[in-house]
Amino acid sequence: MKNYPIWKSFTVISLVLLGIIFAIPSIIYDENSENWFLKNKINLGLDLQGGSYLLLEVQLDVLYKEELDNFVDSARLISRDQAAKIEKIDIQENSVVIFFANNEKIKDIRDSFFQMYRGVTLQINNNILIIKLNDEYRKIIQDSAIKQSLEIVRKRIDESGTKEPLIQRSGKKRILLQLPGVKDPERIKDLLGKTAKLTFHIVDNDNVSALQNNLAPFGKIIVQDMYDENTKYLLDKRAVVGGENLVDAKGSFDQTEGHAVSFRFDTEGAQKFGKVTTNNIGKNLAVVLDGVVITAPRISSAITGGSGIITGNFNAQEASDLAVLLRAGALPAPLEIVEERSVGAGLGADSIAAGQIAAIIGMVLVCVFMILIYGTFGALANVSLIVNLFIIISLLGTIGATLTLPGIAGIVLTIGMAVDANVLIFERIKEESLKQTKVFQIVKNGFDRAMSTILDANITTLIAAVLLFAFGSGPIRGFSITLSLGVIASMFTALMLTNFLVYMYLSFANKKELKL
Amino acid sequence: MFGLNKIIPVEPNINFLGLRRNFLIFSILAMLISIVLLSIKGLNLGIDFKGGTLIEVSTKNTSIGELRAILSSSYSDVSLQEFGNENIILIRLQNKSNQESIETVNSVKNLIQDKVVEFRRSEFVGPTISSELLFRGFQAVSFALIAILIYIWLRFEWQFGFGAVVALTHDVLFTLGLLSILNVEFSLATIAAILTIAGYSINDTVVIFDRVRENLRKYKKLELVDLFNLSVNNTLSRTIMTSLTTLLALVSLFIFGGEVIRPFALTMIIGVIIGTYSSVFIAVPTLLIFKFRPQDEDD
Repeated sequence: MKNYPIWKSFTVISLVLLGIIFAIPSIIYDENSENWFLKNKINLGLDLQGGSYLLLEVQLDVLYKEELDNFVDSARLISRDQAAKIEKIDIQENSVVIFFANNEKIKDIRDSFFQMYRGVTLQINNNILIIKLNDEYRKIIQDSAIKQSLEIVRKRIDESGTKEPLIQRSGKKRILLQLPGVKDPERIKDLLGKTAKLTFHIVDNDNVSALQNNLAPFGKIIVQDMYDENTKYLLDKRAVVGGENLVDAKGSFDQTEGHAVSFRFDTEGAQKFGKVTTNNIGKNLAVVLDGVVITAPRISSAITGGSGIITGNFNAQEASDLAVLLRAGALPAPLEIVEERSVGAGLGADSIAAGQIAAIIGMVLVCVFMILIYGTFGALANVSLIVNLFIIISLLGTIGATLTLPGIAGIVLTIGMAVDANVLIFERIKEESLKQTKVFQIVKNGFDRAMSTILDANITTLIAAVLLFAFGSGPIRGFSITLSLGVIASMFTALMLTNFLVYMYLSFANKKELKL
Repeated sequence: MFGLNKIIPVEPNINFLGLRRNFLIFSILAMLISIVLLSIKGLNLGIDFKGGTLIEVSTKNTSIGELRAILSSSYSDVSLQEFGNENIILIRLQNKSNQESIETVNSVKNLIQDKVVEFRRSEFVGPTISSELLFRGFQAVSFALIAILIYIWLRFEWQFGFGAVVALTHDVLFTLGLLSILNVEFSLATIAAILTIAGYSINDTVVIFDRVRENLRKYKKLELVDLFNLSVNNTLSRTIMTSLTTLLALVSLFIFGGEVIRPFALTMIIGVIIGTYSSVFIAVPTLLIFKFRPQDEDD
């Protein structure tokens, strides 16, 4: 073996062996293996293994609106305490404008208000107080809403029995979910689509005219029935107790009422509930979920045990889903699904099969072509090409990258493009062979001259791949990953492995002349 | 040792640049037609960029007509299409508000439940997302072109960068024009294909430019046209070989890779052919605009 350093052979051989060994876990692909070695396999993307990708947007506008309503209520209470008369209240997009009868107490009112809501912008203009929701205040609302929503979404998904979900914040006001293996995305969407804000309110049966005129007096609200929109209730606006005091909820069955949800309060909730039911015997207590009344039974006796059941026209699934929602807690604001991509297991399996066939046939075609054109050298290049494929697979497995359908396309494309480096080298060797006769010098020059071209050519492809990764989303990133790995691996296999193989071949065949 | 490559002469002597006027006219026409097509007919935007809902189902004992009849009584904007074979059907619905669309998916599924073996796929892209995706796609393509230009500019003289960008613009426009004529669906995957084509075409161009640069140093007296011709001829067999192996892999992907990946494979096939053509017939002749020898400045 002429002039071929031992360390170089050693490096090449060990890298090739590593590439082949670490491809094994992905080729065997034992899904449930706990073996430390077999665990290093390729992750299949949702488009290949089936599952749901959901992008949810937190409806912050609802929260801002709610906060403005809170401002109004607080301002009214403060003004009542200060005996200041309010003439008119104007709720605008970003602010509340309160017109007082005079400006005597306005500064005191402003100061008390500021005690309650630090951070809002308050302006006085003679007898007008303007309360503004400024950007910082919005940001605080936004951040806490997203944080809370993430937590609640996580709980709900866990409760739904999805394994290995990925839930993360995406951008300013979105939440990204990847749910592998989900068979019924509609149910998940139902679970996420409800705010699940549960409150208990005392029903006001005395003020009949308010309901007739559909006009709630201060401190009351009109809420419609869940099952019959013509049935309306006049309720105390203040809830006596809410879902945040629940410690447990589960689906249950009641002999007379059918499927129901039984719940239990924490100590604070039990106390509140006990007190209210003791003081309001004979009145009705409305159970309000997301702005509609599920049921409003009459309080026949004080309930001090801190537990109860909610009945409605539920079926078993609805009752247990409601229990899930109540256990997980309410979302601070509604979530809207802005993007969904769900793939069934059948399509995923078809895609994998088709991708494999395309890769194998592409490989065979390229290999046959290379042998037809370059003969023995072509066969050597084919060895490099196959090793190249092993290296891509092993890299994907060890770095824990996700293989997607476009990712498979990237691999097939790489099969076609990876021989480029070999072709560049062989063409150089061909040219060099016209200039001189020393076999090893020809090969050395061939490789050296091709080197800078190979680097230039591959770096441009890498630039495109990296930018695709930076700006692409989901499955497309899978393409840029396999393409980048393919390009990098092909540089190694061409410049080192093909080089090694060519030297070996020439040494062992003891070639005295080279005609490519 | 055998090998068909002996048929191709090591130094072919084809006068590529002699015909440059014809090719230039052809390419300018192709680009103009592409621009006109893109502004009049536009691209067949998929749901990634247009937004909307798509449901893929596998069926049995039914026909596309029957499904259409069931659905069109409830939805006026529904369109159905066979996808690969007659048992697989794609249902598309136009965009509504997010909430409405999600409910639509549900009710469509309920309507055709008993005709369907499997709901293979359902996708919904809301209006805000589709415009964001389109914007990011444009960003990716523009940044890639700029980054490649900068790289060429650093590695070669700026005149080469100019030639490369002309060729790239040509490739992207021409490919988009053909996609418009062929009505190929334009999706995120197509953007990926276009970027890869950009990378591939530049790759091709760089190999020839590399040789031009080398020859400029080697043959100081040679006429520029002859020198360029020589460089193209030097690299010709590599250009052909690499394009052919890439095309072999892509054709295999197009035929066997499945229905979902087909538009991607087709776009790539078109792009590789155009990219190879432009490296030889557009990028190199563009260098002729510069009447001086770049290496003279270095010496």
